[in-house]
Formats: sequence, structure tokens, C-alpha cells
Amino acid sequence: MHKILIYISLLLLFLNSCDLIDYHPYDGKLNSSTETDINRKNIAKIQELCKGKDTIRFVMISDTQRSYDETEDFMNHFNNQVHDVDFILHGGDMADFGMKKEYEWTHKILSKLKVPYVAIIGNHDIIGNGAQVYKKMYGEDNFSFIVGDTKIICLNTNAIEYDYSHPVPDFTFISEQIAPDSLSFKRTIVAMHAPPGNEQFNNNVKEIFHMVIKQAPSLLFCLFGHEHNFKAIDLFKDGTYYYGCTTIQKRGYYLFTLTPDGYSYEEVEF
Amino acid sequence: MVILMKKLNFKLIFVLVCLICNSVLHAQNDQAIEDKGSVSHYAFWNKLIPRYYKGQYAGSIGKYSAGLGWSYGKDHWETDLLLGYIPKNTDRHAMATLTLKQNYLPWKIPVYEQFVFEPLNCGLFLNTLLDSDFWVKEPDRYPKGYYGFSTKVRIHVFMGERITYKFKRQDLYVKSVSLFYELSTSDLYLINAFTNSYLKPKDYLSLAFGVKVQIH
Repeated sequence: MHKILIYISLLLLFLNSCDLIDYHPYDGKLNSSTETDINRKNIAKIQELCKGKDTIRFVMISDTQRSYDETEDFMNHFNNQVHDVDFILHGGDMADFGMKKEYEWTHKILSKLKVPYVAIIGNHDIIGNGAQVYKKMYGEDNFSFIVGDTKIICLNTNAIEYDYSHPVPDFTFISEQIAPDSLSFKRTIVAMHAPPGNEQFNNNVKEIFHMVIKQAPSLLFCLFGHEHNFKAIDLFKDGTYYYGCTTIQKRGYYLFTLTPDGYSYEEVEF
Repeated sequence: MVILMKKLNFKLIFVLVCLICNSVLHAQNDQAIEDKGSVSHYAFWNKLIPRYYKGQYAGSIGKYSAGLGWSYGKDHWETDLLLGYIPKNTDRHAMATLTLKQNYLPWKIPVYEQFVFEPLNCGLFLNTLLDSDFWVKEPDRYPKGYYGFSTKVRIHVFMGERITYKFKRQDLYVKSVSLFYELSTSDLYLINAFTNSYLKPKDYLSLAFGVKVQIH
């Protein structure tokens, strides 16, 4: 009898560690093998890779939700045919229904990329209990990192998801990031999922948002996803470009090159 | 809203407890009722008495769930009502779920003495989270039809097998005990799997184990 009990508990332990045991699509219980705190860990790797470089190249992909086949194709294409890229920026929407399994499926593919990636939170990543899964897997929804002389500020701009319960965009965070005492960088890029003017954005403050981020040292440009098409718009008619990245389902991505004199970019299809 | 949901949860639990008590009392009174011979008067009410209890581990409706149900149609059909429990997480409180499940068991094969094997149990179940953080209809802040799905209610399909031990003495409270397992998947998992050959059954199937205790 004791032996049977031991076998049963061993069996349960085994099953618990495999994907088949699911308490609920929104239980928030990550598989024991799923990585956590991905952004922080990968930023450390990115900074190590970019150390001493004056030219930085990065790829932006976005809106990979429910496109695992295409995401896998991208991973293979990138690993085999794209060279000299330092890191990948994901513009948000790793999940479609905010389910932890969707996050895990996506990360399983992206973790195989030959360079580290960081991911911004998208509106589809928030619904259900998605925001909690994002926090566990990727970390805080607003974060930044410095590569070379450029700071990349990544923001949660999906205001419609929150009912004012959470500051979106978080001006306290933005002000801290561009405050004069933290100027260990010369240039700035602001990246987000939904751009100002989009139905997700808190459009009551879109002009103020733009005014505030313009105070950052040499704002080079802004990046966004969400709108599922390549777009390059001078949104506020002041020469600051907002670049919108297409979806992985449409098999496209941006390739940005930051040089000491400026930057260039390419819309790539694979 | 939260208080309202708590009240609602309490009501549901209360109804379930009433049903369980009811089934216990009725099981004891059955003999007396039949002796009086007033069958037709009680026939309708008798049908409402739960026939069994079920308990389950995992299966996308909670870590543990338990409830009761009714079998009919020569016991080839079963309808369960289950209350599930999702334990609390580092960033979230514990949650309760309610499941309405329809089972169909086409075959019952006597295997050895008191054992009956049911090689297929299939059907579907509706599960709802009893939690105000999730919605059936999108909140008004969204443009109309923005997401077009409910985060609260899921529909699942399942398939499984079951083995039953029928007690020789049928005058006791428990008439038979069954052990079962099943594999299920939900609408949202299927939508993901449908267009992606990358996803394999082990990714989107959910395994459950359970026990059924027949009392009536």
C-alpha cells in the first residue's frame, strides 16, 4: 500500500512538471521550466554585447500573437541569414488572449534567437490575468536600458486596459528616465506598443506626452507596434518620427542601425 | 462590484450545499417513500435529487474541483455541476470557478466481477470564473467588439475513460465508485492551435483525474 502511494505521488509530481496539467488558462502558474525576469537578464547580456561599440544594430519585431509558425520562421531566418545584429526589440502582443500558455509558447521560440531580446507589453498581453504573467516573465511594464550612448525607454502605453488604476503612460517614470542627473547617455529612443492618437493611448495627454519625451537628450525617434503595418509618421509635425512595425504574420521587421552621426533603418521582409 | 461577486459566490456555494444536504436526506428517505407507494407524486422531485458526487484534479477548471450531478438515459448521459478552486498566486488572490458539464458514455463493458469499464466518456463543459476581474461582455471603455471574446467563460471539449466498481450490497449509501481520467481543450487553446502547426497536442491538451461516487 505504501509503495502504491509513493508511485502515485511520483506520478503526480511528474505530471505536474509537464504541460498537460493546467489548472486554468488564467491560473498564472508558469511551467517550472519557464524563464522569469527575462528583460533584466537579457538587458545585462545586451549591454555586455554592445560594450565599446560605436555602431549598434537592432531588429524590431512586433505583434507576434497567435503566429507561432511565422515567429519560428523568423527565428530560423534571423539565426541563419541576419548577421551583426546586437539585440531584438519586441513591440508587444506576445499573447493574443493574455493566457500564460501563449506567453510560454512565444518565449519558447524567441529564446532560441542567437541574440537576446527584450519585450514591451502590448494590450493583448494585459487582458485576463496577462499583466501578472508579463510581470513574472518579463518584469516591470516600464523599463529602460543604455546601449552605446543611446538610452532606449520602453513604455506601457495601453491606457484603455487600466481604468486609471495604473498610470499609463507613467510620467513619473519618464521624468526619472530623462532627469539631468541620470545623463550617462547622449541620445534617446522611446519605444511603446500603442502610439499617441491610437484608441489604446490616453489621448487626453498625447501632446503632453510628446512634449515630455522631447525633453530627453536628443530624442532620435519613437517606435511602436499595434497598428500591424509599416508606418513612418512625423506624428506631431515637428520632425520627430514615430516608426510603426508590422506584424510577424505579415513577415516583416525593422532593422535599425545607430551610428555616431545618426541612424538608418530598413523595412525587411522574410 | 467585488462585494456583489462575493455575495453571488456565497449564494452559489449555498445552493450547492443545499443540493448536497438534500441528496443525503433523500437517500435516507427513499425507502420510506417507496413503502407508501405514492410514486407519481415523488417521481418529479426524485429526478432532481443528485445521483452522484464527483471530485477532480486539474483539467482547466481549477486545481481541485468537486460537485454533484445527475445521470439519465440508462445512465449513458450525465450532467455535472462542479465548483473549482484555483490557488492563490504570488500576484493574485485565489479564485473560484463554476462548471456545467455534459458527459456521454456510449459503452459500459463488464470486465471482472463487480467492475465495469467505460472506454469512452466524451462531451463538453462550460466554465466560468467567479471573479470580477474577468468579463463576459467587454467593459464599456472599449470600442464596440474590440476583443470579441469573454475572458470569464470558456467552453471545453473532452474525452476520457472510466472504471467503476459496483458494490455487491446496494442497500448502502454508496452504490459504486469510479475512477476516471480525461483530456480536454478549450476554445482559446483551439483557436491558437488551429492556425499553427508549431503547436502540438501536448501544448494545448489538459489532463484531469477524478473520482465519482454514485449514491442514488
